[in-house]
Amino acid sequence: MAQAPARPLTNYHGAQDIERWQARRRWARAGIVYTVMLLFSILFLGPLLFATVSSLKENPLEYPPTLAIPQLSPRNWSAAASLGRAGAGAPLWGGFAPGAEVPFEVTYFVPEGLEATPPAVSVPRRRPGGGLGAVQQIEYAADYASVTPAQEVGREPGGYVDEDGETLTGEVVTYGFRVLYEGDGPKVDRLPVDVEVEERDQVFVSSTLALSRLERRGRVASYDNLAPGALGYTFNNYARVFKEARSITTGRSLFLSWTLNSFVIALAKVVSTILFASMAGYALARLHFPGKNIIFVLILFAQMIPGQVNFISNYLVLRDGIFGLSRLWGQASLLNSLSGVILSGLVGAGAVFIMKQFFETIPREVEEAAMIDGTTQWQRFFRVVMPMARPALGALTILTFQGAWNDFFWPLVVLTTPEDIKTLPIGLLTFRNIYGATGDWGLILAGAVMSALPIIILFIVFQRYFLEGVSYGGGKE
Amino acid sequence: MRSKQQEVVAAYLFLAPFLITLALFFLYATVRAVFFSFTDYDLFNAPRWVGLQNYANLFREENFLFALRNSLVFAAVVTTLQTFGALVMAAVLNQRIRGLNFFRAAYYMPSVTSSVVITLIFLWMYQREGLFNYLATQVASYAPQLGVFALLLIALQIIQVLIERTRGYPARWLDPALFAISFLVAAAATWLLTFLGILLPRDAEVDFTWLQTSQEVPGAFPMALRAPVPLIAIMIQNIFTTIPTFMLMFLAALQDVPKSYYEAASLDGATPAQQFFSITVPSVQPVTFLVVTLGLIGTLQMFDQVAIFGNAVPIRSVITLAYFVYQRMFPGAQLPEVGFASAAAMFLAVLTLLIVLIQRRFIRSEAS
Repeated sequence: MAQAPARPLTNYHGAQDIERWQARRRWARAGIVYTVMLLFSILFLGPLLFATVSSLKENPLEYPPTLAIPQLSPRNWSAAASLGRAGAGAPLWGGFAPGAEVPFEVTYFVPEGLEATPPAVSVPRRRPGGGLGAVQQIEYAADYASVTPAQEVGREPGGYVDEDGETLTGEVVTYGFRVLYEGDGPKVDRLPVDVEVEERDQVFVSSTLALSRLERRGRVASYDNLAPGALGYTFNNYARVFKEARSITTGRSLFLSWTLNSFVIALAKVVSTILFASMAGYALARLHFPGKNIIFVLILFAQMIPGQVNFISNYLVLRDGIFGLSRLWGQASLLNSLSGVILSGLVGAGAVFIMKQFFETIPREVEEAAMIDGTTQWQRFFRVVMPMARPALGALTILTFQGAWNDFFWPLVVLTTPEDIKTLPIGLLTFRNIYGATGDWGLILAGAVMSALPIIILFIVFQRYFLEGVSYGGGKE
Repeated sequence: MRSKQQEVVAAYLFLAPFLITLALFFLYATVRAVFFSFTDYDLFNAPRWVGLQNYANLFREENFLFALRNSLVFAAVVTTLQTFGALVMAAVLNQRIRGLNFFRAAYYMPSVTSSVVITLIFLWMYQREGLFNYLATQVASYAPQLGVFALLLIALQIIQVLIERTRGYPARWLDPALFAISFLVAAAATWLLTFLGILLPRDAEVDFTWLQTSQEVPGAFPMALRAPVPLIAIMIQNIFTTIPTFMLMFLAALQDVPKSYYEAASLDGATPAQQFFSITVPSVQPVTFLVVTLGLIGTLQMFDQVAIFGNAVPIRSVITLAYFVYQRMFPGAQLPEVGFASAAAMFLAVLTLLIVLIQRRFIRSEAS
């Protein structure tokens, strides 16, 4: 930018005046800095937040995208709750059970010169989405529901602004109907309903619960679930992740299995890394022995060689159960088993490097004092050195957990069949392959948000360790 | 003497779990990969020695050449932009102000989640009816407003600075107080013009295909180094996720730079841009070196995004060396080409080491 003018301050401004002028500049500067920082926050958090909010939507690909989402409106929450109570006595998760009597109202605008006609209400046999859910046996509400004819419950004069911006005058008519569950039968999860009018000009205005979509040029107001319950309405996609994505063989929720697997692998790796990396790091930092330099060079190389070089041999090693060793505990092959992923990642070279760097910073004197007391090397390590390493171990725990939780390539190679054995990241790839094809992004986004939740909670709680981890990873060499 | 021997035994006991893991899953694995790369092996028949045949065949394979081109372009563009972006952000954030920790945490949030989650979200935003096209449509529709706003902003700033200068204050062209006023007034005027209907938004509809396209952007690259549009989509996503991490590294280094340097430069009349290039950039030289090294290693091995974009894009436009190796090792219905995949993996490893070494020379010499 342009050079600052080198002109001297002219003498008709006193020092105080200039001081005030400069203070004003400082304030403005702080204001601009905060504004820029806020903009950065929106930039970096925006996609995450937008995806989280959109994951509540029935169709996250709706265009234009909007933040005014019916699932976030308290009016719909309370409507969904009372409909859920009417449907199955369940205000939270809803449903359609014997004895149900679900009252519902739909309001239309009818322009002058047109006679309002009651809509035809039907309960369609509709599958709850495609993908993995398509192969399950489910009950249909259509087999048990009956609908009372829609009757007029209110009528008043009103206006309506159409797409061209013209205001039409006419009447606003409200119809009411009930969906009944007579006789005995199972409780059904969903109660899809279509409300159809004959005339296109009879325009849908509002209903007890926001509709799922308008079909057939606005003539059919379609509801995916007329008795959803408050949570069932708001978190429909989240419920679907658990309900629809089930293992074909065991019927267990895939997402639950994946979450459990991810936790088992991450926790096992954290424990083994903490123990083995500090042992190795301590030896490298403190003890004198031949071969130290070679090991150190290997550590540096191990961090640079791409995983694509080693995975070929490692895949074969796991396939043969580490030279048949795994037969000792009854596994012929370590492919498609969590222990395979854990055993091949007990301790990484990077973790050893971090611990070595850390142990070099703590003073020897403490240990020497313990040495005089006549303790063994082993005792000194566990009683004296490890307790001092707590800050580094905190960062290492977080780094390892995060790495294991988010790991993609190696689990993708090792864990392929059955679906139950996968971890969350590769499970999400399964979701993406199955549901992405049909454009069902609600389920994919809900799964993605849930899989990120543990790590985000961990980040909020242990923020300090995460940020320290970055500087350890950066290694102040 | 006895205690020295004891120490050696203790050291190797402490190192044992790590050394066993390292020997089996790194040393043995690397040696085997080297061996496989000289053989013809499909997992079912015994490996057959073929010498350098696999390496020669690499360059006859069209997909490998695409992968090589994509990996190089990706590494060059992403490493450059993310390093520069992270440094600029760190310089902006390097303030002694309240709430800095909150902002640091907010920026770092996307980086703690897995690449799968972020990539899925971006893939969703790149759909034809996704957020990217929507925002582009908004910008295109309100282009007249943006243009008028920019002109007003510049004009108001020039007028104000000139007025201040004639009044005898040492105002710079980018004086923050005047800029804030110019900004607010320009925004209000633009809003008023729009509200009164004098300035109307255009009827624009951006329908850009990010994914299912084989379009390429020539840009400034030589013909061989053109970037396909889907690869650019991955670049944007990757830069977005890595900038915060590297920004934190730069920030840690910047906070060790004495504030007095900047104050002195400020008194001498150096602009923020001048301060950035003559104080900030040189004082974080070692971190820049590290960030570039880590960036190159990371980008040359890019895999996750290709796997997740999958069939949403033409594979040739995004395939990387890492994905090429995986694809040849697990080609689905066909027989695995272990030898060929190993050769490609060795090529990737050597390429990574070479590029890191060259970059080490380059940045070192610039520092001295």
